[in-house]
Amino acid sequence: MSKLRVAVDVGGTFTDVFVFDEISKKIYVEKTSSTPANPEIGVIEGLEKANIPCEEIMVFSHGTTAGTNALIERKLPNTALITTKGFRDAIEIRRGTKLDLWDAYKDVAEPYIKRRDRFEVTERTDYSGHILVGVNEQEVKELAHKLKRRGVEAIAICFLNAYINGENERITRNILKAYLPDVFITISSDILPEIFEHERMSTTMINAVLGPKISNYIKTLENKLEAKGYKGEILVMHSGGGVMTSENVQRYAGRLASSGIAAGAIASKYIANLCGFKNAIGLDMGGTSTDISLVYDGKLKMTKDWYIEYGYPIGFPSIEILTIGAGGGSLAWIDAGGSLRNGPESAGSDPGPASYDKGGTQPTNTDANLILGRLSPSLLDGQMQLKKEHALQSLQPICETFGYTHFEAADAILKVANANMSDALRLISVRKGYDPRDFVLVAFGGAGGLHSAYLAKELHIPHVIIPAYPGVAAAFGCLLVDYRHDLTQTYVADIKDVDKDDLNKAFAKLEEKAIKLLEKEKVSPQNMQLIRYLEMRYAGQWRSLAIIVNRPIVSLNSALDKFHQEHERAFAFSNPDQKVEIYGLRVEAIGTVPKPELAREKPSGSLQAALKGYREVYFAEKDGLVRTPIYNRPCLPVDSLIHGPAIVEQLDSTVIIPPEFTATVDEYKNIIIHVNIGGADDGSNAKQFIRSSNI
Amino acid sequence: MMEAMQNNSLDPVTFEVLKNSFINLVDQMSEQILRTCYSFVIYNRDFSSALCDANGNIVMQGTQDIAVHVGTLHLTAKAIIKDFQEDIHPGDVFLINDPYRGGTHFSDVRVIRPVFYQQTLIAFIQSNGHWADVGGSMPGSFDVSSKDHYGEGVRIPPVRIWSKGRYLKDVANLIVSNMRVPEERLGDLRSQVEATKVAETELLRLVDKYTIDTVLVAFSEVQNYVERLTREKLKELPNGTWETVDYIDMDPDLGDGMIPIKVKLSIKEDNIFYNLEGTHPAIGCFLNASYGSSLSGLYAGTKTFFPDIPLNSGFYRVIEANLPEGSVVNARWPVAVSGFCSGPYEKIINACFELWSHIMPEKALACSFNLEYLLIGGWDAREGYNRFFMWYDWMAGGHGGRISKDGANAMSPVFGAGLSVQPCEGQERLTPVVTSYHEIMIDSGGPGEYRGGCGAKKGGTLTAIQDAVMSVCCDRSRSVTWGLFGGLPSNPHGNWLNPETETEEFLGAFFSNVALKEGDSFTRPSAGGGGLGDPLKRNPQHVLEDVIDGYVSVQRAIKDYGVVIKAIDPDIDQYEILHEETTQMRTYIRCNRKNWLTENPQIVVKKYKNGEIDKLDLIRRYGVIIDFSTDTVLEKSTQQFRNMLNNRSAAYWE
Repeated sequence: MSKLRVAVDVGGTFTDVFVFDEISKKIYVEKTSSTPANPEIGVIEGLEKANIPCEEIMVFSHGTTAGTNALIERKLPNTALITTKGFRDAIEIRRGTKLDLWDAYKDVAEPYIKRRDRFEVTERTDYSGHILVGVNEQEVKELAHKLKRRGVEAIAICFLNAYINGENERITRNILKAYLPDVFITISSDILPEIFEHERMSTTMINAVLGPKISNYIKTLENKLEAKGYKGEILVMHSGGGVMTSENVQRYAGRLASSGIAAGAIASKYIANLCGFKNAIGLDMGGTSTDISLVYDGKLKMTKDWYIEYGYPIGFPSIEILTIGAGGGSLAWIDAGGSLRNGPESAGSDPGPASYDKGGTQPTNTDANLILGRLSPSLLDGQMQLKKEHALQSLQPICETFGYTHFEAADAILKVANANMSDALRLISVRKGYDPRDFVLVAFGGAGGLHSAYLAKELHIPHVIIPAYPGVAAAFGCLLVDYRHDLTQTYVADIKDVDKDDLNKAFAKLEEKAIKLLEKEKVSPQNMQLIRYLEMRYAGQWRSLAIIVNRPIVSLNSALDKFHQEHERAFAFSNPDQKVEIYGLRVEAIGTVPKPELAREKPSGSLQAALKGYREVYFAEKDGLVRTPIYNRPCLPVDSLIHGPAIVEQLDSTVIIPPEFTATVDEYKNIIIHVNIGGADDGSNAKQFIRSSNI
Repeated sequence: MMEAMQNNSLDPVTFEVLKNSFINLVDQMSEQILRTCYSFVIYNRDFSSALCDANGNIVMQGTQDIAVHVGTLHLTAKAIIKDFQEDIHPGDVFLINDPYRGGTHFSDVRVIRPVFYQQTLIAFIQSNGHWADVGGSMPGSFDVSSKDHYGEGVRIPPVRIWSKGRYLKDVANLIVSNMRVPEERLGDLRSQVEATKVAETELLRLVDKYTIDTVLVAFSEVQNYVERLTREKLKELPNGTWETVDYIDMDPDLGDGMIPIKVKLSIKEDNIFYNLEGTHPAIGCFLNASYGSSLSGLYAGTKTFFPDIPLNSGFYRVIEANLPEGSVVNARWPVAVSGFCSGPYEKIINACFELWSHIMPEKALACSFNLEYLLIGGWDAREGYNRFFMWYDWMAGGHGGRISKDGANAMSPVFGAGLSVQPCEGQERLTPVVTSYHEIMIDSGGPGEYRGGCGAKKGGTLTAIQDAVMSVCCDRSRSVTWGLFGGLPSNPHGNWLNPETETEEFLGAFFSNVALKEGDSFTRPSAGGGGLGDPLKRNPQHVLEDVIDGYVSVQRAIKDYGVVIKAIDPDIDQYEILHEETTQMRTYIRCNRKNWLTENPQIVVKKYKNGEIDKLDLIRRYGVIIDFSTDTVLEKSTQQFRNMLNNRSAAYWE
């Protein structure tokens, strides 16, 4: 019978499996190496390793960083952009701005589609949707021929003013489709009918470069799972903090640009809440990158203005996340100026860190942790052996350049890595006016537990939570969400003149599209929830506020009142006498999915029983090697109090409790590290987290 | 960084949190303005915000503030303090846009709110926004031909607009009644006033949390920190003096002859001195600058070489400047200064780039394209519109080549790297102007071992209009964007009306009040950046990549770089470098190029007229400057331009 909720999250280095048994309330996790060339192989391997009978799966949720990595590493299919004549550079001129206004040497990334691959057709629609110049079929056919010769695999079409009338885009697509039946084509008027050419073109471009890769991958995975007995759909996590099924993935591939990342943020919010914290910083440190999210007063920050790389916005609503190129696999290197650097280049999972013995020769953070004794040479319950001699060899150039011992070199590598991550943490907390002292750090990902205590100390964050299954937190997050689609449309009208029927019709059209999306996902009507938002502003203003309105809209007066109130709340002033206009419509479509309920555990067993042994671990703050106890995490009893230095190991991750720090274990088996910010710690900081001391 | 932290009386975490809270408070104010403003100029980020201490000194500017307002906001705060002194009360709000009192130009309207804690004045919050119109004879308040300020727009000296919490409606009405679309100006005013209130609330929250003493100490400590940080960095640099000259195209009253702006930079221990002695007197159009905006050019030009240092008065304390009174960089009242941004400002900032490139070659930067903006104002006669419209647009263009990489393609001007290019779809909805193309211009990047970034070109057609006029405020149609360390210039600015038709007309880079009718079209190029390093040393493979992407043509690959490329099958990007021919061509150019710069300009122009050479050859090969409306040589400008080419380019060729 179907009783298992399964989530698989594919990261750059590892593929994580999280299984929740609906009947026994038990959790199983598994981890296997990612297979970036064919990610589905890693997924299947993970399921097999976890011994999951596919016919018993009731829900299969999936998160993947394939999209993010493909964009950052520019591993993209041969993609062409087709625009209105005269506008192929809109994507390169962008808005002309840059992220760092003052550093003339810090550039905006190049467009995902080079100028040589951007083509134009003669056509034009005006601001009102009136077609000034129709599509010339012959010209498009010639272009199709050229694109065929160029071996194009995907096409993005974005014409000027297509947000108001997409006819020319559709005609062009249909002609191209006939000539290039196997090529993935995406058009702007279908995926994001919103005004402003650069933002729409950028979203369309990203949809196109990710489309073929991601949709082929999901289809392949679906076939493989079906062959193994899973009859349901794959729920794919998207950046908006919801899931969609494979059919919709194909259409909205751009929403997967930070799929796994969103899942991690959701998990960190959930876990912080379990532990009683309303403010949390999520730190998901994986093999290639670290993703940072922020929960304030119980809510994740959302944005419509986001990107994987600055300058190329993705117009779909998304959870706000800061990603930096620092992970376990980040390479340490010496730059032209002779200084020691860390990342953003990563060894990934292939060849991986030097100690993986898969051909990597440059040192990574993982190698440094291994040398210092923080990481055991035997990982994944002994399925993976690290080769210390390779790690030592990889450090040689750094030792020679700086005259370091191996310990000093490894320690220096980690200090640079931690400084980079601290800067990023500052950027989203202190820099935005949030005092880190008011937050908890939820650290996960395979490498989160190795670095988090030091990061928290640096930022004066008093507590760190390491979830029970930190290596698979993102996979866990995939089980905590609903189906979700956000459909938007530009609609400009004076609220006094607006025709309510027309407005209701426009909403109904979006909802029809949304319902179709949910129906494809087999959501039953009673589980569908449709929320209408009106984007409103004072006539003459440039930005708008989203106001929830009724379905159907009977009167706009209450929306108008709400708008004035919201303007007052958000900006401390309003102007009820002034003309208000509608600027856009948005429908948030939710298909609710039941969520797992985690079991609470009672204290049992002793800390001593969890002790695996001792290891010599290098701590610079203790000027050398310290005999450090190593605990086996699954055996750690609830309510344990651990004094640092100590190391806690589990299948997929390692937690460092540095000297002078303490840690406790809560009823959900989360480890909470109490940070020694400075001064003597008598353990009182930790004791408030223990309800009944069994030590 | 560690050095700079010493002597700080606050603990490191409190200092760090407060420093960043100040930045955040200012950025929050900016964000609110962005979300509530009416002027599209503000919306596209022509605005700045600041927190000033009770003396008017800058505690912190915002991270996204545009360069051109840097180092002027404290001057306007001090103007308010000077005029009102003891007569400043809780609930007051002041207004100022006076360039003769530290402002930049009339369009930049500043709202200044004093902040009190228990009846003691502790700070001023300032919001500066570029209003779309502030009156005057031309829509958009840019009359390029004006010689004094009376026709330019409303001059607002320090004025109280809120008194002890009461809105002075009559004063506000007096001001906005002299502007086009007054309701929208009141909207901007409200947006700015409320934003300063948000910052006030935030500041008072910090005072509650950290105590008034701590916050006041932090006010001065963040300024001290920035000053110490800057001085520490200066101590690592050599002492010395460096000088250069850059030019404004012309004084319309004087005719041929570019207008020199001389910049001499000295570093002595941990101080910076700028001396602009020898700069030309104020000129007969509005391309003059007041004291404040020239100072801003020096600050911003310097700051580019210290990108990590936060902006506040601590930075300004390190820099001293002599701006000769009555000159084009320090024009006296009532000389027109509204065009300072296209005129002296761009010259000063690029001159600073050149000087600092000698001191810190690892951050070297050739000249970037000059700010260019175009205004069309008139009656929108489209169905359902029937209202006054303004199409106010600025170009993206190329930035200068760098020591290790090409310049950035099609970016906002250095005048304001955060200034956002407007979306054509938004413009088409609001105005009867249809954009026919907006694209990167081939061969516009100045040749160099590292090419200048490419410029762009934008064309438009007028649809249903009545009584419309066009103005352009730009420069560098003669003082063409230059290369550095052997690199070459890019391309001249200048707009055309009805291009490629029988009524084609060259309007230049600087004109106003050109009447337009329905169906008229226009085109505008923006310059690329200047090249850096000898173009004959550019890796031929990079030239080939540029050809494939259409940044450089096959013809100019030969002329500018001496790289001979054969097109085999362009449809599938197949090209080939002919290596032997390339070696020959490079030798030929190397042997002749210095002579080309001495060839009789009249003979050169003859070659141009009969088609032997083109416009880019005139500038890049021969250094000859002509008037494109008559195709005649400008002798004096050519002489000046060739001197400049010899110093910045030829002197570095083997």
